[in-house]
Amino acid sequence: MDGTYRPGTVGRGLAWATAAYLVLPILIILPVALTDQRYLSLPEDGISFQHFRTVLTSPEWLGSIWQSFTIAVAATVLSVTAGTLCAIGCWRISRRATELIRVLMLLPLIIPSIVYAIGLYRYFGPLGLLDRFLGVVIAHGVTGIPYVVITVSTALATFDPRLEQAARGMGASLSQTLRWVILPRIAPGIFSGAIFAFIHSWDELVMVLFIASRDVFTLPRRIWDGINENLDPAMAAVAVLLILFTLLLLMADRALRRRSEG
Amino acid sequence: MTGTGRAGVGWWLLILPAFALLLAFYIAPIVQVLAISVTDPEPGLGNYERIFTSGAVQRVILTTLRICAITTVLALLLGYAIAYAITLASPRARGWWVLAVLVPLWISVLVRAFAWVTLLRRQGLVNNTLMNAGMISEPLPLVWNEFGIIVGMVHYMVPFAVLPMLASMREIDPRLLAAARGLGATRFEVFRRVFLPLSMPGIIAAGVLVFIFSLGFYITPAILGGGKTLMVAEWISLQILDLIRWGLGTMMATMLVVAILVTLAVFSRVVDLRRIFGAGG
Amino acid sequence: MSDARGHALSLREVSKHYGSFAAVERVSLEVGQGEFLTLLGPSGSGKTTILMAVAGFVTPTAGSILLDGADITPLPPEKRNFGMVFQGYALFPHMTVVENVAFPLRVRGLSRADRDAKVRAALDLVQLGQFADRLPKQLSGGQQQRVALARALVFDPNLLLLDEPLSALDKKLRAELQEELKALHRRVGRTFINVTHDQEEALSMSDRIAILNHGKLIQHGAPGALYERPRTRFVADFLGKSNFLDGTVRDSRPGGFALENGASRLAVALPDGEAPPADGTRSLLSLRPEKIDLLPEGQSADNVLEGRVVSWAYLGTGFSLRIATEALGEIRANLPAWRSAFAPTEGLPVRLGWDARAAVPVAEDAP
Repeated sequence: MDGTYRPGTVGRGLAWATAAYLVLPILIILPVALTDQRYLSLPEDGISFQHFRTVLTSPEWLGSIWQSFTIAVAATVLSVTAGTLCAIGCWRISRRATELIRVLMLLPLIIPSIVYAIGLYRYFGPLGLLDRFLGVVIAHGVTGIPYVVITVSTALATFDPRLEQAARGMGASLSQTLRWVILPRIAPGIFSGAIFAFIHSWDELVMVLFIASRDVFTLPRRIWDGINENLDPAMAAVAVLLILFTLLLLMADRALRRRSEG
Repeated sequence: MTGTGRAGVGWWLLILPAFALLLAFYIAPIVQVLAISVTDPEPGLGNYERIFTSGAVQRVILTTLRICAITTVLALLLGYAIAYAITLASPRARGWWVLAVLVPLWISVLVRAFAWVTLLRRQGLVNNTLMNAGMISEPLPLVWNEFGIIVGMVHYMVPFAVLPMLASMREIDPRLLAAARGLGATRFEVFRRVFLPLSMPGIIAAGVLVFIFSLGFYITPAILGGGKTLMVAEWISLQILDLIRWGLGTMMATMLVVAILVTLAVFSRVVDLRRIFGAGG
Repeated sequence: MSDARGHALSLREVSKHYGSFAAVERVSLEVGQGEFLTLLGPSGSGKTTILMAVAGFVTPTAGSILLDGADITPLPPEKRNFGMVFQGYALFPHMTVVENVAFPLRVRGLSRADRDAKVRAALDLVQLGQFADRLPKQLSGGQQQRVALARALVFDPNLLLLDEPLSALDKKLRAELQEELKALHRRVGRTFINVTHDQEEALSMSDRIAILNHGKLIQHGAPGALYERPRTRFVADFLGKSNFLDGTVRDSRPGGFALENGASRLAVALPDGEAPPADGTRSLLSLRPEKIDLLPEGQSADNVLEGRVVSWAYLGTGFSLRIATEALGEIRANLPAWRSAFAPTEGLPVRLGWDARAAVPVAEDAP
């Protein structure tokens, strides 16, 4: 039916303005990163890659990028392992019995990270986990579990529980059923969860501000210091690299989902 | 116990790692923090008395509530316009609209705050452009104040507002809109009497979500507020890291958690959190 | 619903194209005052597109739509003042029955008192007075359908448009509501345009049926006339069931001709005024299964054919038989069960007979 119902001019104008408001500020960083000036500005006499060069040759930036990457990978492994098993358990055990666990899983998404961060600051002291790789991995890994539980639960929602029963009925053990029947079917959901858990750790700043100081100095932490201390075009270059990296991850997720659907 | 039979112990063991991790490394630290609020500097409710006696504490609470309320209203308004456009768009256009919402959602909050600083500061792109065009002679104070905080926070919150509203709008049968027009309603009346009331559950869900996310928001207000306008999260950090006043900091953290849980409890009838987060994932 | 005068609608060469696809192709049709017209066709025949064009939801690519002679083609739906019952009813789920029915009055700015009186009258008309404060989801399918009718009639619409109004109901309820709808039409005296793919519904309710296929209007007329004198193979096949017999025309004369197929010659009588086809041309006959009799020994008819029963089905009201004939291949015949103690068996030899007026020449469909 054409001409049935379309938003009016006011609605459409507001929607376009909002889309511009959402996207343009992010896009503006690209020309700023390519500026030929030594301060934050648009390019004046042509574009230059000098600021990307500065970042990619700086041991501080590279060190932070590497640290953030290894932390994110380790935290993702933790989140994915615990989250996937938990989602499968909750799916198989009745809803009512696992209600508490499901609510518990939502808490990290609801409770502000500042509250958790000050808690960790106090809690990690006696455990010797402050400013340690392991401490940050635990913090990021634990708070990443809900993302995995959600995506894996969504994948499981379309999975017929009778397949699991059939496998068990044919004599497969729990671990065989998991490996050969359940995991292959929900792999796309696990992968999505892994991407979200990775981005969660990779971008996380508030906890790091409290539980890390010198030895662990992640990329968000270095950007934070940069924004607060010296605003130079190198920051814009870092931001562009981060955006590209995030887009790459999201595209990988999208492509994988499309493949599993089609 | 489902109809599919008794669940064995094995399945419970699958839940155990996540449960133990959350208990030991999530719940325990938070409970400890909440406990400090009634033990430091001395046992009792002394810290909570400050809500009624300290002007500074009251000011930070009021500032936070004001900014959160404004942010929620603006994010709902802008988010509604986008969700409405997505719902009524052709399938091809819909993909682009959704992209415009989802990409910002996943881009680092730091990057976004940085983008706003670049745009809004005194020598920023907006002020420079306006001055070069001769429209203003003095740079406008666009950032390091409440205006800057709201600009950045609304930018962060709009995608969160869109998702629940979009979910509820997509449940509206398009034939109802055609029916309303066929029965003589103008475009505006179709919107006011049919579309808007039917999308109300989504609006409420989005409002709750944006409001509770805004309450404890740290990074964007800290960067765009420039230390002059303090919201609760930054104030807590200040108490703990700089002033070492654990009692006050944890009292405010407790209040924050209580405010969020109470908001959720009040709206739990209309808002299914799991559905919201399911749609967001 | 006082001044119950229907309005006349005409479609003039209306077409609707989507890219190179023609959903509706040059359809012209007149709907008289107070008439109950049904647009009948299989899915994709363009019937719903025509209804949506009349309602104003679809803008025709070419042609015009006139109401009492005035062109309404450019008018938006809300300006046309047509009542419409949507497929699945499209009741507003957040409004009670009363609020749903009052909606068209509200958007027209009627005062509360006027609204109440009209809504009550409309609900009484469909016998739903006692359900006024329920929500749509608390009503049965049949009740929802009646609310949709009340809502479509409450504002004295120029026309009532019905888009598959009964398709969501079960068979028994559908039959009941067909009668009710027909009675309602008589009571309110308005022009109704109904869309359906259900030929029984079309036959039982309509004053006139327009049959569509592939976006074209194939034939229109009173239900009886269409059923008895289909003009094309498609109409004969879609409205009821038919046997199709082809052959060469012989012995053409006013009032009839003979159809030659191999060794057999079938006698065909035509109604007054219908010109016979020319000798030597190919012709196709449509023969309804219920017009074929089983002839007892010694009895004759205009046309007689020998055959054997291939299979049969007992339908309660009668038998449906498939009969293999040497001359004309397989023939379907329907026999009433009560008339004789007929006991079909496989391979049973039978003699079929039918009247010369029973078979109707029809045109082969354009590809």
